Amino acid sequence: MSENEKLLVVKDLVTTFATPGGPLPAVGGVSFDLDQNETLGIVGESGSGKTVLSRTIMGLQPRTNVTVSGSALLNGFEVVGASERAKRQIWGTDVAMVFQDPMTSLNPVMRIGKQIDESLRVRHGMSRSSAKHRAIELLELVGIPSPQQRYSAYPGQLSGGMRQRVVIAIALAGSPKLLMADEPTTGLDVTIQAQILNLLDELKERLKMSVILVTHDLGVVATRTSRIIVMYAGRIVEMGTTRDVFQDHRMPYTRALLESSPKVASPSHTRLVTIPGRPPNLLKLAAGCSFAPRCAYATDRCRQERPELQPAGDPGHLFACWNPLPTTRGATPQ
Amino acid sequence: MNELLEEVSLVERPEKNKPLGILFWVCVGWVALNVFGAIFANVLPLQNPLFENFSAVNAGPGLHHLFGTDDLGRDIFSRVVYGSRVSIAVGVGAMLIGFGIGAPLGMLAAYRRGRFDMVLTTVMYILLAFPAIIATIAVLSFWAPRGLAKIILVIGLASVPLVYRVIRTATMSIATKDYIIAAKVQGATDRRILVKELLPNVTPIGVSFLLIGVATVITLEGALAFLGLSVNPPTPSWGNMINEARTVMAQNPWLVIFPSLALCLFLLCLNFIGDRLRSHFDVTEVKL
Repeated sequence: MSENEKLLVVKDLVTTFATPGGPLPAVGGVSFDLDQNETLGIVGESGSGKTVLSRTIMGLQPRTNVTVSGSALLNGFEVVGASERAKRQIWGTDVAMVFQDPMTSLNPVMRIGKQIDESLRVRHGMSRSSAKHRAIELLELVGIPSPQQRYSAYPGQLSGGMRQRVVIAIALAGSPKLLMADEPTTGLDVTIQAQILNLLDELKERLKMSVILVTHDLGVVATRTSRIIVMYAGRIVEMGTTRDVFQDHRMPYTRALLESSPKVASPSHTRLVTIPGRPPNLLKLAAGCSFAPRCAYATDRCRQERPELQPAGDPGHLFACWNPLPTTRGATPQ
Repeated sequence: MNELLEEVSLVERPEKNKPLGILFWVCVGWVALNVFGAIFANVLPLQNPLFENFSAVNAGPGLHHLFGTDDLGRDIFSRVVYGSRVSIAVGVGAMLIGFGIGAPLGMLAAYRRGRFDMVLTTVMYILLAFPAIIATIAVLSFWAPRGLAKIILVIGLASVPLVYRVIRTATMSIATKDYIIAAKVQGATDRRILVKELLPNVTPIGVSFLLIGVATVITLEGALAFLGLSVNPPTPSWGNMINEARTVMAQNPWLVIFPSLALCLFLLCLNFIGDRLRSHFDVTEVKL
C-alpha cells in the first residue's frame, strides 16, 4: 500500500434512523480509510448496515428522520453535515454510484444516450455534439457493442447485463475518483456477474479510481479487493487485507460467513453451513458483542462488554472479539 | 454484418405491447367527433339551436329535424351539438385548472416530502373531506351572475385536491426508484429531476386520470345543469336540455333520450379510453 494521500477517511460514523420503536443505529460508529486506486470490499449479511454505510459516505440520506454524526472526509470534502447544494459538487465528479438493480436504476422513458449526456452537459458544460461523442465513447468503454445504435435505445430494449454496463457508463461520465458499487451484480445472471466485476476491475485500473464494493457475496470480493471490511449489526467486526480476512480471520463471525458460502471443492449435495439465529434487532442492542447470541465461543464477558477493534498480527488487520480464533499465520492455509 | 445483426437480436427485445383494440379506437373516434362538432358548431351546416319554429313543435325524429324538435320547435340535433360545447368546455377547462394547480403541487410534495408535504397534504385532505358537489352548488348559487367561466373555475378549484392526491401518490412511487437517486448522485438539480426524470414518468398516469376526470366533471356539470345551476337557458347544454325536457317527457320522450344518449356515450368513451390507457401503461411498468 502506498503512503499517498487518502481518498476517503471515515471516522466514528454513526447513522441513526428515528423510528416509531425508537432510535435505530443502522451504522454504529465506523472508522476506516481508503487509498487512491484501491478496491475495498464491504461484506455482511442483509441488515448489517453496509448499504446505509455506503449511502452515508455519499451523503445520500432520506431528508427526514435520520441523524448522522462523525466524519467522512471524501477527497478533502466533509460529507457529514454538508448541504445538498454542496454535495452536488462532489456527486458525479468525486464519487459516483453503481446501483444494485439495473432494472430500476435507469429511467425507462429516456433514451440511454440522453441519460449519459445529461451530466456531461449539465455538469461539464459540454455541447450537445461533444456530449454525444463522449457518451458513445463511454458506452464503448464499458463494452457495449455497436454503441452508436445503442445510444438511442431505451432501457427496455437492453438485457440486464447491458443495462448494468450503461449504469456504469453513467457513473463514469463525471470521471469520479471513487466508484461506489452497492451489490452491483445481485440483479444479474451468474455468468454476467463475472463480466461486470471484471469490467469494474479493468476500469478501476484504466481510470485510476478507487472502488468500494458492497456485497453479501464473499465470492465477489475474494479476488478483486485489496482489503475487506466485515460488518455486523452496523459495526466493523473485522478488517484487513483480503488475504488476512480469508485466511487468517480472527473473528468467529467472519469464519461463519466464509463457511456459509458454497465451495466448488466440496462434494455435491453437501449441505451449506448456516449461521444459527438471526441478525440482532438494532432497536434492542445488548450491551455486549452483538454477535454473542449466535456465537459458539461466546462467554459471559462477550454478553456484557462490547469488544473494540484491536490489531491482529499484520498491519491494518483489526478485529473485535474477546475470544478470537487462533491465528493461522505461519501455518499452511486450508 | 451478419454477426452484428445476430447480436442485435440477442440484445434488443421487441416491444410487446398489447394492442389497444378496436373498441378503443372507436371510442377515440367518437370523442374526436364530439370535440370536432363542439369546436366547429357554428361553421357546420346546422340549424340555429335557438330558433323557435312554432310550426313544428314536438316533432319526432325525421329528415328535416334529425332528432326532432322540442316544445318550442327548436332543432334537437343542433341543440345536442351546441350543448356539447358547454359540457366539453367545462370538462376540459376545469381539469386544466385542476391539473395546473394540483399536479405541480402533488409532484413537489411527493419529491420534497418533509414538512412541506405534511402541511400541504393535510390541507388537501381537509378540502377533500368536504363534499365537492355541495361546495360547488353553494358557491354557484350565491355567486351571481352565473357564467361558463365561473362554472369552470369553481369546478376546477374543487378538483385540485383530487388531482393532487393522485399525482402525489404516483410521483411518490417513482421518486423512490433508483434512477431518481442515480440522477441525483450525477449532480442533477431538483428542478431537473422534477422536469426531466419525474414528469415523463408521471405523465401516463396523469393523462389517464385526466380523461376520467373530464368525464367526472361533465357528469357534475350535467347534475348542476339539471339543478339549474349551470349556464343560463336558452344556451343549450346536455344537462339543462335533460332538465327542460323533464316536464314534457310524457308527450315527447325524444327530448330526454337524445341529450342523455349523447352524454352517456361521450362519458362511456372517455372512461373507456382512460381505463384502457391506464392498464396499458401499467403493463409497461411491469414489463420494465
